[in-house]
Amino acid sequence: MASSFGGINTALSSLYAQRRGLDVTGQNIANANTEGYTRQRVVMQSQVGSISPALYARTDGLGTGVAVSEVQRMRDQYLENRGRTEHANSAYLTSQTAAYAAIEDVFAEPGSTALQAQLHDMWDAWGDVANNPQLPAARAALIQQSKTVADGLNFAHNALASQWGQIRKELSAYVEEVNTAAKTVAQLNDSIVQAKAAGLTVNELEDRRDLQVMQLAKLTGATAQTRPNGAMDVYVGNSTLVTGFTTRDLEVVGAARMDQRAFQPVSVQWADTETPAGVGGTMGSMFDTVTTIIPVISDALDEVARTLATKVNTAHNGAFRPDGTPGGDFFTGTTAGTIAVAIDFPDQVAAAAQAGRIDGSVANELAGTVTDADGPDLLYQSMIGNLGVAAQASSRRTEIQATVTEQVDASREAQSGVNLDEEMTNLLTYQRGYEAASRVLTTIDSMLDQLINRTGLVGR
Amino acid sequence: MAISGRVTERSIHNRVLANLQRNLAKGDKIQDQLSSGKQLNRPSDSPTGTVSSMQLRAESRANEQYVRNADDGLGWLDTLESTLSRASTLINRARDLTLQGLTGASSPQANQALATEIDQIRESMIGYANTRYLDRPVFGGTRAGSVAYDDTGAYVGDDGRVMRSVAAGENGKVRVDINGPDAFGPEGASVFDALTSIRDHLRAGDSAGLKADLDDLDQAAVSVKTAISEIGSRYNRITHMKDSAQDRVLSVTSQLSEIEDIDLPKTIMEMQLQQTSYQAALAASAKVIQPSLIDFLR
Repeated sequence: MASSFGGINTALSSLYAQRRGLDVTGQNIANANTEGYTRQRVVMQSQVGSISPALYARTDGLGTGVAVSEVQRMRDQYLENRGRTEHANSAYLTSQTAAYAAIEDVFAEPGSTALQAQLHDMWDAWGDVANNPQLPAARAALIQQSKTVADGLNFAHNALASQWGQIRKELSAYVEEVNTAAKTVAQLNDSIVQAKAAGLTVNELEDRRDLQVMQLAKLTGATAQTRPNGAMDVYVGNSTLVTGFTTRDLEVVGAARMDQRAFQPVSVQWADTETPAGVGGTMGSMFDTVTTIIPVISDALDEVARTLATKVNTAHNGAFRPDGTPGGDFFTGTTAGTIAVAIDFPDQVAAAAQAGRIDGSVANELAGTVTDADGPDLLYQSMIGNLGVAAQASSRRTEIQATVTEQVDASREAQSGVNLDEEMTNLLTYQRGYEAASRVLTTIDSMLDQLINRTGLVGR
Repeated sequence: MAISGRVTERSIHNRVLANLQRNLAKGDKIQDQLSSGKQLNRPSDSPTGTVSSMQLRAESRANEQYVRNADDGLGWLDTLESTLSRASTLINRARDLTLQGLTGASSPQANQALATEIDQIRESMIGYANTRYLDRPVFGGTRAGSVAYDDTGAYVGDDGRVMRSVAAGENGKVRVDINGPDAFGPEGASVFDALTSIRDHLRAGDSAGLKADLDDLDQAAVSVKTAISEIGSRYNRITHMKDSAQDRVLSVTSQLSEIEDIDLPKTIMEMQLQQTSYQAALAASAKVIQPSLIDFLR
């Protein structure tokens, strides 16, 4: 037979458990809108009575109440891993699309004032010189239009270089952020492992760690894995960024200006081994932007400038000025950043095929370059076409990736988000449970009252 | 849509926000198109459209240049034509005067007067032959200088040709000048030589010489008339080519508009649709998010 007072203990255990349930529900409601918070559930377990048989104390096998075995954190590690991957992809593509948009802004094509229109104005000016080689005004206009083209090329080059420099700076700043976040994760690992060893619940710390790791995933495309002791290892590329309580540092090395990139290639590498880190996410996109996307466009622009200078200089060298001297070079510099008009005065423009004649045949020849298959105009057009294709592909992929990321986020939120209706229901359930346990206690109390105070009064 | 059956306030909130954002982004794009009037605002809007647009712009500019070249060429030919017809009139006058001298009825004094007038005509002819267009002697070839003939009537220009490109390629080049010797007769047999000879023979009263001079003058007149008719045919050719370049500019402009410009009714319809769906989304989210169990618990 069990003890007469066993029931009181059972009711008490229930009061404890229901109150714990109310507390956890309160915590969930309090954090319903906290970013990265994971809903928690009280896991209750019925208590088993003594099952060891003894000579005089025989158990009736009845349970002895309820206990809270754990407060569970409702987060799915697999969904989290998927979420990190998709967020990393999303961050990569978003950054890439922004980079392309900035490059498109530099060229502002198609338009009636951009570089192509400036080239057209210059060829038209050659046409005017061809029509009236004797007029200094036409030559002066040609020099001005050519300077506009050279300035336009210089401007585009400088704008690309400044975009490059800005992204390079951001890359350095992000590396600092990544190193700091990695150290935070290691510290959290330390706290979590110690608390878990002591049997404490550290759900809130794990939430904070997940947030940091998600941030790392967005920045570097990092992946993560949890150890049995509760620590979380973070990987970038195929190497570890955080192992238990220790971290490794990333660093960015290489040129700080675009023009130096050929001599000092930019690299994101591990500080200790100096081997390249295969970063993804935002930093991966920035790395690709400074090593591939902007350099490709810049090289294409240089090719346009080189073709323009070669084409005009070749013709101009073979032509004669009004005073009968050979023309010499019209442009100096062979890259978009350095091209400039070499001559200053109208009578230095050479348009005649024969010395000492008022002849514009060379200028006429140059005016026709506008539609040349190997001329600068067509090179420039194909460059803009390629830029458009790449930018469009990137922006479409970003849209698709955004949808995928959104769906994964919905699944994660469905798993770990707080539903207020559900919490209100739980609140009611635990409240009623608490009330019922109190009633059990009252009942046992009045039963014992009957037994102790009102029993055996016969004949009193 | 959601994979899991569980829905939370935050997941509804996130999805509603994402959808509203998408809706707004679409609206932004349509507004951008409407306000700029262009559906092609950056290369990524349509890479092929951008390249076509740039090529069409190049073609349009090239044709506009052909039109300007043609206008300039027509200016040259106009100058040549009017100069040569006035020269032709003067030659007729000189012929009349020579015939007067030939009839023999005139006195030596009258012949002197005729000779003086012939001399005037000769000087006017040299003046015509030195006509300039935009500061260039039109009969002087490509010579650098302000005259094609000197005071003695000797040609000082060269045999250079002044060409204007009025269409693509070599065939599109048209000559817009004529060299002095081609218009006024070759060196030694030019209209000026004939006039000099007539003046001298008039002064000397040499009828036989005058007769021969008359033939020379007729030769020169034929040369001038041939030049006028050749200039007329070139004028026609340039006018035709200018017309076709102008037509090309028009058709390129309309093609460009087709690629770059928005279809106004279509875009406005799209904007209406977008606004309707945006308002519907707003109204729906306002209704969905409001109620919760809390509203119904006492």
